Order: sequence, then C-alpha cells, then structure tokens
Amino acid sequence: MIDAMDKAAGLSPDDALFAARRFRPEFVQGAEECRLSVLQPANDQGLAPNLRVALARRMAALNADPVLMAEYDVLLTQLDPTEQLLALAQGETDLDEPLATIARHVDVITLTPKQAEAGHIALLAQAGLNNPQIVALSELIAFVNFQTRVATGLRLMRSA
Amino acid sequence: MISSVRLKPLNWHPYIAPVELSEATPEQLEAMKVTPSAKKVSEYVRTLVHDPESYLARTILFNAIMYVEGGLARPDRELGALGASMVNGCKFCAVVHARRHAELTKSDDVVTALYLDKPEALGPRDAAIYRFARRLSAAPSEATADDIASLRSVGMDDAEIIDLIHAISIFGWANRLMHVLGHAESA
Repeated sequence: MIDAMDKAAGLSPDDALFAARRFRPEFVQGAEECRLSVLQPANDQGLAPNLRVALARRMAALNADPVLMAEYDVLLTQLDPTEQLLALAQGETDLDEPLATIARHVDVITLTPKQAEAGHIALLAQAGLNNPQIVALSELIAFVNFQTRVATGLRLMRSA
Repeated sequence: MISSVRLKPLNWHPYIAPVELSEATPEQLEAMKVTPSAKKVSEYVRTLVHDPESYLARTILFNAIMYVEGGLARPDRELGALGASMVNGCKFCAVVHARRHAELTKSDDVVTALYLDKPEALGPRDAAIYRFARRLSAAPSEATADDIASLRSVGMDDAEIIDLIHAISIFGWANRLMHVLGHAESA
C-alpha cells in the first residue's frame, strides 16, 4: 500500500526504493502514526484539523517542497477552509489573531530554529494558546520539517 | 595536534509548566509509561505529554530510528543527529549526541573536529555523512544528488542511506522541540 511518505517522495510499488523503505517497517508505520497524531489527532486540543493542514501547507512552501504543497492543498480544500485559513496556507502575514502570531512563530521555527528563544513561546501564550496547544503546535511544526526532509532524501536517492 | 574537546552534559528546562504527575490524566500517564511507584519523570517528557498522542507516536518512531538493530552503524546515526543539531542550534541535543558518538567510537576525534569547526579533519566516510546532515538540515534543504553519490562512494548501501536520512530528519523534529520549548544550562 502506498502511504503519505511514498506519495511525497514520488515512489510507486515497482520502485526499488519503495521496497527498500520497507526494510524498516518501524519507520514506515511510525511516520504514518506520527502524521496522524499531528494532522488528525483524536484530541485536537482546540487546534482544528483545517488549521493544522493550512499550517502544514505553509511550512511545505517554506521548505520549497512543491509535492507536499500540492498534497496539503488537496487536503485543505476537503476541509472547508475559511478565507483566513487559505491566506495562512498561502504564506500571507496580514491575518487575524491568533493566526498572525501562530504564522510568525511557524515561519521562524521552520526557517531559523537556531533563533528560537523564550520570547517566542511567550508570544504564543499572549495570543491565547494554552500549554497543550503550544506543545501540539510545536509537534506539528517539527513533524512537517521531518516529513519534508525524509521525502527530499528519498527523492534525491531516486535521482542519484 | 589539537587537544580534544570534552563536553559536559547540560540540563534542560522548559519555558512552559510541565504536567505534574499528580495532575496527569490516565492517557498522559499511559503515554509516559508511568507506573504508580514512579517518583521522577523528566521535565522534557512531562512538557511534551501535554499532548500525549503526538508524544507517544514520536517516541516510538524516535527510538526505532536511533536504536533499531542492523543497518546503519550507531555512531553514524549519532553523527547525523549531531550535524542536524548543530545546524538547528540545539546545544542540548548536540552535546548529548556528541557524547554518545564519542562513547560508541571510544574516541573524541570526530567530536573535537566538529566543535572546533575543522570538518576537513574528518575521514571520507564521516565527512560525507556530516556534509549531508548539514545540507539536508538547512531550510529549505540544500542537499543534492551529489551528496547521495558521495555516501555511495564511501560504501553506503541504500538501506544505510535510508537510515541516515531518518536519523537526520528526526533531529529536524527533535531540535524543533527541545530548542523551542526550553533551554539548556550547565549541569
């Protein structure tokens, strides 16, 4: 069965790399479980699935990953996004609160994690996010940055 | 001859209040694998368990990537983790995985070269791994097919390269938790 990571990496079952990925069933299964835990959790902590997908689309663009951008665009249109969420997904910065603060945070942590400091978390709290939401948002950011790197690496293996 | 770098472990403290065990939900306790007799769970675990679903899923994947049997040698995984942690600026993670690399290889040479910013002192295999780790960790990624070719030229097969990609990428994740949700201090 083709999973989200195969799609992101452009792998089909007849690719040697598709089989090579499956030497590590723990990684295949584990990455999919993680994807579900940040995009479609049973308890979304008040961060709705369409907000999560919109943020994932924004981070795919920050990582210059057109395949994941397209994937998340498709997912987002299925989730009845508001104009604000579409703007967020497209990378715009002129947004209502708390989306504007969340977007600034996502951009900094995706592009320049080295610059992260206490003030960034304080801004999220000031924008009204509680601790479970701050952690859930952090895990979502971190997951998409993981996902794009695995997909990128696999794509490079195909082309090398 | 350069004298070897000796790295001391750091302590990590969160910017938000961690979950207190006395107030944890059954789902949080289950995710932390807390037994009724447990007295101490790290602040890091208790911070992340604010969202138990993602904590549990990521812990399982992280342990598989770093500790699964066979495939890429453990020190090579640690070197990938170290390269990523240096790019992403997670001092805590960098020290942990530098120390683990030194323990596993019984040598401070690689860690010393990297902390003194002398990657040219690395052997060809370590150099290829470290360079790929740095370039894949950039945002957006700066890795190219040439980097994969370099890994193959030092003898790595596809299964090992897939292991390495995961070790680097899971630190694109872990660094964005540890360096974002808290800070490191000297122990």
